[in-house]
Amino acid sequence: MPELDELESRLENLTAADFQRGLEVFRSKLKEAEASFLNSCVHCGLCATSCHYYRMDSTLENIPAHKLELIASVFKRNFTTMGRVAPGLVGAKPLDKDMARAWVDSVFGRCSLCGRCSVNCTIGIALPRIFRAARAALGAMGLIPSDLQATVDNALKHGNNMAMTRQDWVETVEWIEEELQMETGDPEARLPLDKQGAKILFTVNPREPKFFPLSLQASAKVFWAAKEDWTMASDPGWDLTNYGIFNCNDEQAGAITQNLVDAMERLGCKTLVIGECGHGYGAARWEGPEWLQKGYPFEVKSILELMDEYVRDGRIKLDPSKNPIPVTLHDPCNLVRHGGICEAQRRVLRKAVTSFTEMTPNREHNFCCGGGGGQLAMARYKGRRIQSGGMKAKQISDSGARIVVAPCHNCIDQLMELNKEYKLNVQIKTVAEMVAEALVSNA
Amino acid sequence: MRTLHLGVLLALAWTILALTFLHLKAKAYGKRRLFSKPAGDPAQGAFYAFTKGMAPWAKESVMMNLPSYAAGMVFHAGVFTGFGLLLLALLGLQLPSALLAAARLLALSGGFAGFSLLLKRCLNPQLRGLSCPDDFVSNLLSSAFALLAFLGSFGAAAAGIWMTEAILLLVYAPLGKIRHCVFFFSTRYHLGAFFGRRGTYPPGGSSHA
Repeated sequence: MPELDELESRLENLTAADFQRGLEVFRSKLKEAEASFLNSCVHCGLCATSCHYYRMDSTLENIPAHKLELIASVFKRNFTTMGRVAPGLVGAKPLDKDMARAWVDSVFGRCSLCGRCSVNCTIGIALPRIFRAARAALGAMGLIPSDLQATVDNALKHGNNMAMTRQDWVETVEWIEEELQMETGDPEARLPLDKQGAKILFTVNPREPKFFPLSLQASAKVFWAAKEDWTMASDPGWDLTNYGIFNCNDEQAGAITQNLVDAMERLGCKTLVIGECGHGYGAARWEGPEWLQKGYPFEVKSILELMDEYVRDGRIKLDPSKNPIPVTLHDPCNLVRHGGICEAQRRVLRKAVTSFTEMTPNREHNFCCGGGGGQLAMARYKGRRIQSGGMKAKQISDSGARIVVAPCHNCIDQLMELNKEYKLNVQIKTVAEMVAEALVSNA
Repeated sequence: MRTLHLGVLLALAWTILALTFLHLKAKAYGKRRLFSKPAGDPAQGAFYAFTKGMAPWAKESVMMNLPSYAAGMVFHAGVFTGFGLLLLALLGLQLPSALLAAARLLALSGGFAGFSLLLKRCLNPQLRGLSCPDDFVSNLLSSAFALLAFLGSFGAAAAGIWMTEAILLLVYAPLGKIRHCVFFFSTRYHLGAFFGRRGTYPPGGSSHA
């Protein structure tokens, strides 16, 4: 409730200068593609059923075209001739307090930026690109939900989004290393920190050292089995998350990305490997160079691609009979639809488990779990997040699987909540956990 | 009739000029310079977006709303047929009778399909909620044009009304959402190029990681 009041108070105190700044930032995010998108919607409404929010709550406000129109109406009013001459005819509206409130509710509260509406739009409008421009504008007006912004601020201040101290991080890594040595029986098994000149710099979601150490241990076990030359950073540059992709502040997002670039330079690594995280992969692989306005002098890979290579090249050997429980796979939107990593995880899982069943639909047509777009960091929309996750819960239930593999820690958090809420009675694991379990010893 | 023909030509010139201006205005926003290393081919993605990606079975939204989608396709076919018939009328040419019959059927079906979609927009509260006056005007003008193309193809009596309607439609086209006749192509290209560059389109393609 305090968050609700705080945001409302900020809305009430908006000045003409705030609106002007919002419009300027909005305009600065538009390029030729976005200008086309904003001129294209015919309001056919067929996109409605593509949205998990609409599927679980069929109100007008959840129709992607309606969310788009809120923004397009402001675009028309401020940047088109017809919007100025005949606003009533073309639905052009000013950016005022009511509209700003509607934007916040829509682009933060009713959209996980999953992009499923894009692939289902009969015209082909990439709606999240417009929603991102609107989020950036709201940010310039001081209207980012404070808990989402706090996650970004943590990363900027502490070098990781959970404000872990260096000591906590290093000690956790050392403890996991001991666990790995016990598990493998190899006293030389390592979780190397700051290994100068290592081939790979591996990055993780801070939720792993904080809440899911077994997940990090599993990745380390795979590297150990593959005899990989890898390291992690003890200073900033170990956290792969970047919530700047959700508050859409390119400057802040770029500063967080710079931690990774600096760590790569500091340690002299060749390949930046992103652990299992959808938005982290999207931020580092696709958006980072755009935020920094320069290409990387190194390669970026998902650990999924790396594990796929290990299996293909025979660097690790897997025994699927070690994973006999039926498995299904969740496709994180930022990794699959927006990231292009569709098959690597499937190839790996088919080698690592006995029974693999696809969810329907899957790959670029997957449903968002409901936790994307920064939803997990915005407490005020928790009810909608859990409700909209109902589509994913139904997919899981229909698959008949008892283990859901999700190569994304944000998705895992959401799936764990869905597991309780919808009584799915499933286990939720990462791909690396399945692979680590299936490893044939001394591979 | 001559005056009407001239009116249609002038309206057509206005439409072409205005739509070209709108297209150039959108292009003037500039291209985004991209720095990330591509995983796939934007051109292949765009090709997919305009081909297999437009197939009804490639979109769940279409499969779940087949009657509306079919009505939309017939509506568009009817309007384009209407423009074909209009061009022939302006040039004083006539189609062979079998082809003319097919064109009339398409225009008639398109008109009815368009009006069925207009009716749906009026009756469905959510579609009404999505709509602004332009949605109704655009649909009305286009549907009437297709229907009048059917009637006008029979002779001079209805042809006058058809030509007048054509002028109205052509003058209005760049002002409202009918401008999507241009922006559809650039939008679809940008969507395809985006997903193509990231290796998502074409699904199962060589760049699929």
